[in-house]
Amino acid sequence: MAKKILQVEDMHYVYGNGKPALEGVNVEIFQGEKIAVMGSNGSGKSTFFLNINGVLLPEQGKIIYSGITVDKKNIKELRKNIGIVFQDADNQIIASTVMAEVGFGPMNLKLPKAEVHKRVEEAMEYMNITEFRDRPPHYLSGGEKKRVSIADIIAMKPEIIIFDEPTAALDPLNATMLEGVLKSLEAEGKTILLSTHDVDFAYRWAERILVFCHGKIIADGTPVDIFNNREVLKQANLKQPAMLEIYELLLEKNILNGNANKTYPRHVKDLRKLLEGLNS
Amino acid sequence: MSKNQKRVLKLAIVFAVMFGITPAANAMHIMEGYLPPKYCIIWGAICLPFLVAGYFSLKKTISENRKSITIIAMAGAFIFVISSLKIPSVTGSCSHMTGTGLGAILFGAGAVSILGIIVLIFQAILLAHGGLTSLGANTFSMAIAGPLVSFGIYKLCQKLKVHRHVGIFLAAAIGDLFTYCVTSIQLALAYPSETGGIAASAVKFLAVFAPTQVPLAIIEGILSVVIIIGLETYAKSELTGLGFIKAGEK
Amino acid sequence: MVKNVILSVIFLVALILILLKERKYCLRKCRANNHQHGASHKHGEWISIDFYSYASQIRGWNPVFKVSFAVALVILCIVLDNPYVSLIVIIAMAYLTIVRGGLAAREYLSVLMIPAAFIIISIFTIVIDISKEPAGHFNLHMGFFYIFTFKAKLEQGLLLMLKVFAAVSALQMMTLSTPSSEIIYVLRRSHIPKLIVELMNMIYRFIFILLDVSAKMKNSALSRHGYCDLKTSWHTFGRIAGNMLVISLKKANAYYDAMEARCYDGELVFFEEYKKIDKKLVISSVGFLIFLSIFPWITI
Repeated sequence: MAKKILQVEDMHYVYGNGKPALEGVNVEIFQGEKIAVMGSNGSGKSTFFLNINGVLLPEQGKIIYSGITVDKKNIKELRKNIGIVFQDADNQIIASTVMAEVGFGPMNLKLPKAEVHKRVEEAMEYMNITEFRDRPPHYLSGGEKKRVSIADIIAMKPEIIIFDEPTAALDPLNATMLEGVLKSLEAEGKTILLSTHDVDFAYRWAERILVFCHGKIIADGTPVDIFNNREVLKQANLKQPAMLEIYELLLEKNILNGNANKTYPRHVKDLRKLLEGLNS
Repeated sequence: MSKNQKRVLKLAIVFAVMFGITPAANAMHIMEGYLPPKYCIIWGAICLPFLVAGYFSLKKTISENRKSITIIAMAGAFIFVISSLKIPSVTGSCSHMTGTGLGAILFGAGAVSILGIIVLIFQAILLAHGGLTSLGANTFSMAIAGPLVSFGIYKLCQKLKVHRHVGIFLAAAIGDLFTYCVTSIQLALAYPSETGGIAASAVKFLAVFAPTQVPLAIIEGILSVVIIIGLETYAKSELTGLGFIKAGEK
Repeated sequence: MVKNVILSVIFLVALILILLKERKYCLRKCRANNHQHGASHKHGEWISIDFYSYASQIRGWNPVFKVSFAVALVILCIVLDNPYVSLIVIIAMAYLTIVRGGLAAREYLSVLMIPAAFIIISIFTIVIDISKEPAGHFNLHMGFFYIFTFKAKLEQGLLLMLKVFAAVSALQMMTLSTPSSEIIYVLRRSHIPKLIVELMNMIYRFIFILLDVSAKMKNSALSRHGYCDLKTSWHTFGRIAGNMLVISLKKANAYYDAMEARCYDGELVFFEEYKKIDKKLVISSVGFLIFLSIFPWITI
């Protein structure tokens, strides 16, 4: 059983204009999990992220990080250990060279200069942006900026990394790059939370899906469970991933027979295996 | 060539040089190297108390609300960008707003003094408008004198219950004109006329820059009103959000 | 002294010729850009000096050195006020920027010409005087008054022009080879109040964000005939500016959250790599400065 790393109990948050954004969120997150966070725009995903990162303070509720209840004094621990890659890199990149930008987080962690230097080099290497080190962000393309904004967080070496809609506005090449990065982060044992509207991506990537609706988590389970739950899909305005639909269609038309353990194919190659198994 | 023809020719040359070049003139930034050392230092010294006051008012605003630092920085960037946008015109000439009058109305004169000097530095290093040794003189005319007059007129119009938009127009336009007068006097002080002294020289500078600066001041006033109307129609709540920058003023 | 005048007049004529040519070139460039919006460059209103500064081949020089060298040159120019010094500076700066920095001569000239209009008008104003009676060495009758000037005034004006161009070219040697972020770093090193340096850092970044926003809005307005006539254009201009302010306020909040998420706690410090000072460069530039400052006493 993996270590419980973050626990949120009954979190409430109300925005300045009196609009409630979170109304009682309960969730437990374990080390090394790959969680997709779904739900329509304005359902509270981003607010939730800012709350568990310690940028916003919940009106009510408890956050327990690694067994320690977070209060005003140790809120910095949350920011240190949980990093957010924001949706719009242009709302995140603050420095005027790539190197200074990647070093911004580590500098704020008050690390010794040599350590900052090491981390910056590593993170730039990791995201393959070393060649842009002296370039200002305004002469980078959208995909390059995204890479910089991810390197920002990697340099801080947080336990949990949150990606707020990372696939939005990325071209296919950069989206593939992103999946590669996710894979290597996962291999390092990082816990990843990722919000997305891309059901196909969530289905194929995630181990667990949280569905937000009107400031509450209305479903929490494996992708197969969530995407087979018509009630939840309807409530959160989600649709079934193409792969799942195709698989069910194949079952319905008796091309595939419901195999005993009902392993749902997640990638095209899984489906291919199932179909090839049929012939032999 | 008869004497008369010669005269016409001379006149034509003078006008060709004047008007061939003036449309490209921007707001009146005194150039690098233009002022003798004495005036660089004097104007810098005159600015100092205003800048110190502005600095402390900003510092107070930020210590009261740390979040305001990004808003203040955005305000500075906004003034820069506004002043770098080309004003639409029929002739295709390049003219720009100063933006500091509008800045003073929106963010208060205290904040604008510091933001103004920063904007002037960026105009010098990014746009080659103005310079470092003339920074003191330019700061005084554009970031202190002009905005103070704009802010004063805006407040006065509020007190006298003049229509809001008229007040904004007057504040921006007169602030702009005042900047132009101050710059002319600054130039005259540094280069007085041989025969008439400083006063005659000031009149010369005022006359030479009038064809570009007077229409520009009126345009600045009109555009400031248009911008405020635009803001009022779809961003009432954001405008009140600006209130707290002004709160640090007093 | 006649030499001085001839020198300056040649310079002035060259200047006006270049200016007229550049204006045509710029207008053509402007029009070309208007026709292919977005495709030719990323920002509708891009800042060429900023772009050149990143591309410069002498960008690697230590910024503290470059800034102090440029400032020293500017001060020498205005304190010495000597036409030969000015001329040497103009040539030396052109050499540094074009030959060492690798900036195309045409681009350099177009940047150098930005303040030309102001310089010519203001110097013209200094040189001439107005009176009802003919006076001075040169007269121009303008109906009921005379424009006149003295030889000495003329000379003063021409020398001033040389001086201004020398100072401007020294400043532009710096701006065309040193990105703003590095200039801000130098300011920080020279004990400018921290708050101002922090604001400058943010403002520099935000300028490009807002330029991007305004360029996008301008394109969208163009596509909806927002510039069809002058009145509409002004209306559009105002709307864009107003909208930009709203967006900038929203972005300011988003930025603050993003900074806090990365442990920002009221102190903005960036990681900087130290750029080595080239000793040979320092020695030769100090030599150059000393040469300039004793120059007026050798020649006379």
